Amino acid sequence: MSGASRRAKALVVGLALTVVSLAGCGASAVTVNKSTATFAEQPGAAPNYIFPLASLKYFSVANLTQFQFLMYRPLYWFGENGQVKLNPQLSIANPPTFSSDGKAVTVTLKQWVWSDGQPITSRDVEFWQNLVTANKLNWAAYSPGEYPDNVISTTINSPTSITFNLSRAYGTYFFTYNELSQITPLPQHLWDKEAVTGSVGDFDKTPAGAVAVFKFLDQQSGMISTYDTNPLWRVVSGPWKLKHMDTSGNVKMVPNNAYSGPVKPKLTEFDEIPFAKDTSEYNQLKASTSVASTAVDYGYLPFQDVPQKNALSSIYTFVPWSGWLITYFPENFTNPRSGPIFKQLYFRQAMQDLVDQTTFIKRAYFGFAYPTHGPVPLKPATNFADQVEQANPYPYSPKAAVSLLQQNGWTVNPNGISTCASPGTGAGQCGAGVGAGAQASFKLEYASGLPALDAEMAQLKSDFALAGIELNLSTAPFNTVVGNSVPCVAGQACTWDMECWGGGWIYSPDYYPTGDEIFSTGAGSNSGGFSDPMNDQLTLASEVSNDVSALHAYEDYLATALPVVWLPTIYSQLSEVNTHLQGTQPQDPLLQIYPENWSWS
Amino acid sequence: MLGYIVRRLLQAVLITLGVTLVVFLLLHIIPGGSVARAILGPRANALQIAQFNRDNGLDQALPVQYITYLGQITGFGSLFAGHGWQINLGYSYKLNQSVASILVQDIPRTMLLVGVSTALAIVVAVPLGIYQAVRRNRIDDYVLTAASFIFYSMPIFWLGIILIVIFAGGLLHVLPSEGPQGTTFGDVLSELPALILPVASLSLVTIASFSRYMRSSTIENMVQDYVRTARAKGASNSRVLFVHVLRNAMIPLLTLIGLSIGFIFSGALITEALFNYPGMGYRFWNAAQSQDYPVILGIIIVAALATVIGNLLADVMYAVADPRVRYSK
Repeated sequence: MSGASRRAKALVVGLALTVVSLAGCGASAVTVNKSTATFAEQPGAAPNYIFPLASLKYFSVANLTQFQFLMYRPLYWFGENGQVKLNPQLSIANPPTFSSDGKAVTVTLKQWVWSDGQPITSRDVEFWQNLVTANKLNWAAYSPGEYPDNVISTTINSPTSITFNLSRAYGTYFFTYNELSQITPLPQHLWDKEAVTGSVGDFDKTPAGAVAVFKFLDQQSGMISTYDTNPLWRVVSGPWKLKHMDTSGNVKMVPNNAYSGPVKPKLTEFDEIPFAKDTSEYNQLKASTSVASTAVDYGYLPFQDVPQKNALSSIYTFVPWSGWLITYFPENFTNPRSGPIFKQLYFRQAMQDLVDQTTFIKRAYFGFAYPTHGPVPLKPATNFADQVEQANPYPYSPKAAVSLLQQNGWTVNPNGISTCASPGTGAGQCGAGVGAGAQASFKLEYASGLPALDAEMAQLKSDFALAGIELNLSTAPFNTVVGNSVPCVAGQACTWDMECWGGGWIYSPDYYPTGDEIFSTGAGSNSGGFSDPMNDQLTLASEVSNDVSALHAYEDYLATALPVVWLPTIYSQLSEVNTHLQGTQPQDPLLQIYPENWSWS
Repeated sequence: MLGYIVRRLLQAVLITLGVTLVVFLLLHIIPGGSVARAILGPRANALQIAQFNRDNGLDQALPVQYITYLGQITGFGSLFAGHGWQINLGYSYKLNQSVASILVQDIPRTMLLVGVSTALAIVVAVPLGIYQAVRRNRIDDYVLTAASFIFYSMPIFWLGIILIVIFAGGLLHVLPSEGPQGTTFGDVLSELPALILPVASLSLVTIASFSRYMRSSTIENMVQDYVRTARAKGASNSRVLFVHVLRNAMIPLLTLIGLSIGFIFSGALITEALFNYPGMGYRFWNAAQSQDYPVILGIIIVAALATVIGNLLADVMYAVADPRVRYSK
């Protein structure tokens, strides 16, 4: 072939490519003629429980915020325009009013109706209250001493007004964001029965009756394949009702035409699709050839595929989704060997000084994570996060870590194992319970199957070694790591030093980030057994105060007291949304979805 | 023969019970912390953990738990309790379904995927192996041998991805990238195009394996005295091959087919995961990850039974294929 001929061919090919690429650019001008939208469920996390009073076995984003909430609206809706705050428009009740002594809260319902036309009344709220009180151990959000233990009684003032009488005074923030937020009115006129063939009554008004009603509804909720035909689940308060659901997690919903809320669905159907693995979901995204033919309209990019994120940009918009959560891993304060070392604040400070969150975010998470410096999430920006936490009290500094250890009686052996050379409780000594020769060598078990976490832990080991703190890494399935991370009991084997399940705590459905369930002495989810009277006192103060500064005091204290090792918080999902699907932004930090806002352009 | 089958079936029951004992013990002695905490997650408090343990009998001594489980899966538990004979494989800790209902929905899907792949592999591999044996050491045999080795040594997950890229991705885009999502056998059948890639990825590797066995076995039989005798008596090539050689050459393959019955019931983990096909293999993996003991035990019982029965069928088929094989003792 001559040079001229080759050049002519190259020109033709170039022109052809230009035409093709121009056609591709023009794709965004097309109109997608669809009236349904599909949403990809997280891998292996299909919804499987419809009854809103769910136990911890079914406590998941898939079951609650992305399934039940579409049909059964909570009394108070949180989340508005990407912010963590009470949303009065989407709530079934008007904002609560508190008595002057803070020991009674009155809730007034709006004139909303169930999908069968019956009004949503205070009796529906009382029905919830009775069921949750009698079955609290089967309810996911139960925390001893708090809701529903702190509600002594309820008084129905009228069909649209109910008063909760409390065991002690509570602050408006805490009680609204953390207690009232957990209430979901249930259709008493349909559900208050003990058997399929039984009639509806006031069974919930006795504890034994409430247990029987719960048992019946729980049993009915165990028959997933009947969800779409069971009359119980046909009556809803939310914008959607179930059209079809199967045991694999395929969900089809259609609009509830009687929905009383301000935004009615525009789509004729909203579907959720299950996936066994994130790679399967990504294969589906990659198989899409045009905006009009996407099998998944709202999906996600697996973290390991972030380097290829531009490959989908002609069809999908890439939108990272941050959740209202913090990430950390606990040290075991109850371990007889390592616990005394972890109880030393200087040692915890040294460890936090060795956590290079900036590098983790950049290398392990490709930039799709953000720092955690304390108990309050830093994203989205709220008035709950104070300056001290935002400023990061312990920036990465191996030098500071080494110095702290040396100042407190340790012989530091970089890349070896540092040892306590000066035991005792005086100044410059290792601290109570730390004997001579105690070694800074700990086991750290973390969740397997997460490449980014592998990278993060390897980097952490390397950074800790700079101050002679040896981490012996091992992996186990997520559930095993979670199962291991409980405080040790005296007299029983205690095998763990640190456990990292790759997450931390999501503040939902208790949105006020007081951390009473994770860091207070003896709290049910205080994995490492952290105990600090000052923290307990500040936590309590944040619960009773109406001023957010009480939360700041608690937050600032814990950001410096380090009850756990703070790690970067990764985005909850790297969403890929069909470029023609409108109304999906901003994504809700409480991980709720609003398909009633969606439409095609 | 009948006595032999009855004896083997009794053995199967004992083996299955032995398997349940070993697996039950292993599940409870391996390190892994509190099952309740693992199932309920980091939010679980002591009261909720105690409630879970009570509800699931985990607060009882291990021998009591095992005997209760045994009574449950054999149906004797309910019989002795006066509720009639009811076999109960338990209830999943996480999936909000009974283990039996999970198996009922997963087994047909897995049987369809793995069964069709195995059947397809046999249909293709047997004539392919015979053809290669007849044409041994010629160019077409070399080409087919090379192809067999390529597919045999190819990891299934990689082969699956390649198939997705070619047939479901931008290159050809003629087939769906995920397997059928229907919950019933009929639903799955109605999505036949979606079954092509998962079946192909399993079949190609199995064909490669089976055809190698068939080729070797055929070559081995073709030099036997009985073949020479048949030829001396004037039997045609095709009669020698398909009447005399095939029956004998199939015997090693019968073992493989018998063993694959267990595989047909227990699932193909990698293929199922890759093509988002909810079958037994992937269910088992998820159950193991989430410490969902009732599901793990239920799947193992089914797989153990299928493996034992598969071996029994292979033994019976030996006798059918080779009249010299007798199981009188």
